[in-house]
Amino acid sequence: MKKKMDVEKMTYAVLAIASFFVFWWLITTFTPAKETTPGPIEVIQLLIDSFVTPIGNYVITGHLLVSLRRVLVGFSVATILGIILGIAMGTSKWAEAIFKPIFELLRPIPPIAWISLVILFFGIGESSKYILCGIGAFTNVTLNAYTGAQNVDPELIGCARMLGTSERSIFFRVILPSCTPQIFAGMQVALSTSWMAVLAAEMVGAQEGCGWMIQRGSDTLNITLVMVGMIVIGCVGMLLAAVMRVIERRLCSWNIMDN
Amino acid sequence: MNEYAKQRRKNKIKFGIVSVISLCVFFTVWYICTAVLHLKPDYILPSPVQVVTAFIDKLTRTAPDGATIFGHIGASLQVALSGYVLGAIVGIPLGIAMAWFRRVDMFVTPLFDLIRPVPTIAWIPLMILWFGIGLGAKAAIIFVSAFVPCVINSYAGIKQTKPVHLWVAQTFGASRREMLFTVAIPTALPLIFTGLRISLGTAWMTLCAAEMLASNKGLGYMIQVNRSLARADLIVVAMLTVGLIGTIFTVGLNSLEKRFVKGGRRG
Amino acid sequence: MEHHGQLKPIISMSHVGKTYLSIHKSNEVVRDVSLDVAENEFVVLFGPGQCGKTTLINLIAGLQLPTTGEVYVDGKKVEAPGSDRGVVYQTTALFPFCTVMGNVEFGPKSRGIPKKERRERAQYFINLVGLQGFENSYPNRLSGGMRQRVGIARAYANDPKVMLMDEPFGHLDAQTRYMMEAELEKIWQKEKRTVVFVTNNSEEAVYLADRIIILTNTPTHIKQEVRVDLPRPRQYSDPAFLEIRRQIEEICDDTL
Repeated sequence: MKKKMDVEKMTYAVLAIASFFVFWWLITTFTPAKETTPGPIEVIQLLIDSFVTPIGNYVITGHLLVSLRRVLVGFSVATILGIILGIAMGTSKWAEAIFKPIFELLRPIPPIAWISLVILFFGIGESSKYILCGIGAFTNVTLNAYTGAQNVDPELIGCARMLGTSERSIFFRVILPSCTPQIFAGMQVALSTSWMAVLAAEMVGAQEGCGWMIQRGSDTLNITLVMVGMIVIGCVGMLLAAVMRVIERRLCSWNIMDN
Repeated sequence: MNEYAKQRRKNKIKFGIVSVISLCVFFTVWYICTAVLHLKPDYILPSPVQVVTAFIDKLTRTAPDGATIFGHIGASLQVALSGYVLGAIVGIPLGIAMAWFRRVDMFVTPLFDLIRPVPTIAWIPLMILWFGIGLGAKAAIIFVSAFVPCVINSYAGIKQTKPVHLWVAQTFGASRREMLFTVAIPTALPLIFTGLRISLGTAWMTLCAAEMLASNKGLGYMIQVNRSLARADLIVVAMLTVGLIGTIFTVGLNSLEKRFVKGGRRG
Repeated sequence: MEHHGQLKPIISMSHVGKTYLSIHKSNEVVRDVSLDVAENEFVVLFGPGQCGKTTLINLIAGLQLPTTGEVYVDGKKVEAPGSDRGVVYQTTALFPFCTVMGNVEFGPKSRGIPKKERRERAQYFINLVGLQGFENSYPNRLSGGMRQRVGIARAYANDPKVMLMDEPFGHLDAQTRYMMEAELEKIWQKEKRTVVFVTNNSEEAVYLADRIIILTNTPTHIKQEVRVDLPRPRQYSDPAFLEIRRQIEEICDDTL
């Protein structure tokens, strides 16, 4: 029965995607839109070509790696800082009283709004990209670590005390592991925000990277390039999300409610 | 008031004072680093005093970036809300339809999954090329960013309808269409509202990006143009305004949600 | 207060009272409870729901402090939770991020016992509760009965002087409950400890107890004690068993 449903799903999916491409091709071959918009064939041609012919300074994989590098650096640093601050705020009333007001003041400012200030301050070099990715990730991770630490089941802490655990040990062996699923959820959102931030930063001031690529396409009225860029960016986004899900499944398998 | 309550009150006051002191320290350090020590030139990092004066100035003057603060806010709100409303009007019914009608689900979901991974920002160059620089392109970009969460959450909301409730409706002789409107949609309301809330957040966030690259007024534009004008104080004013309005939206929607969505998330 | 034989009681509660304070009111939950428990005695606290039995367990465990009176365990005054008093919670409270082995060896690990020794200990108790083969499973994959067995193993593995059990089988279905009562009986016979067990199920009380302490409604205090001298393991349908059940239920009803 399930097999039959899966086959049905597959057929519809194939049908849907096929009709999308056909529709696209029809519009760009037979209607006036063909003057402005490239058809699927041209896009795919450029996509394949970009693996060998450089756009700007790099082939497409080069741009990919540059963008990824920027994201990973900013994201990692921000995550570590965010976890520390979030758990501190969640477990210590003092830390909460000191840091929360400043955090709440700066939090609603979207990472993209920081671009101008950061570029003025740090220039158009790599560091401003790292910082922007970091800002994108930091708020989410901190917030999630904060709520995670606040919501640790007090019964578990009482239990640990009953078993003879020292307060310091309780922090590392009970509070921290309890927060992991929540922190991970925050990290997933943070990663996609970081990815968006790096694209924005690259569109505004860079010489390479995925964001630069589509901006270049826009500047040279090369819609094909823009579309190729969008496809690549979408694929990378999916990949990042998938990687995070796999890691989550390994780290947090204990959290999935079975009953 | 008993001992316990007195102790709690004391703690609240104590930590409240700590928070206030912390904020004061923050502003003082900021002030010292800029107005006193001049760690960085004014046009890169303004002092808090400069930010405040710039804000007051902006209340009435249109120079140097073309509009008063209200003009910019108005332009931004116009763009954000039009894209947002459009995204909701299209997204919510689509999400509901996808979740309710199996064939629609099987056909549309793969297409949706193709579009979803592309970050909203990546749409900007394409939209500019198609619509030019103006309200159309910006609203289109905001539309995409508001559309996606609305669909996802409406979909999830309908999908979480308990079969048991549908069976009860069936025993009362409800038709499929009646069940949709009397059981499924009410159950989905909390999540639909969540979708609306998230969409507003993403719409407002994407607005900044859209205005930076495709506009000549609005808060995002203000942030962008003042970089080339080297007016960091105006940049900070714009940043804080964006944050403030975002907060107002979030708080507003949260209280609306509390008042109108009865029963919370429990099925 | 009763002294059994000439031995000093291992648990000694003397005029213990507990009142909860909140913003608008105070809530007296326990009033003037005095109780002695001898070593290796199985004592059951029996009373109506929500009467304060859990509070009494928490007071002995040190998870809460009495407003009046004192609690002594093994000659020392109770002021905080500790490894000499093991608790088995109604909600099991297993660490969801630890495997079965991780949970059971948590206590010994906290106290710095070297890996080889604590592994052996934990394994012994895992086997004792019948969960061999599940050492590397996470709690979310176990049934309610299995989780409770882990809770018992975890409390035992820490080598407590006293085991405190707060309606551990309350959330289980009837069949599993009977099974767990028999299991607990067997485990206790093999590894004798002092047990204070809370329940509102008269069948369970008579099956397990050496002595049943019948409690009143809030504010709770001791109405009466009933000794159960039947040979173990007991038969639920034994007339003497049923007679004692009737007795304690009657006394309990009286106090409502």
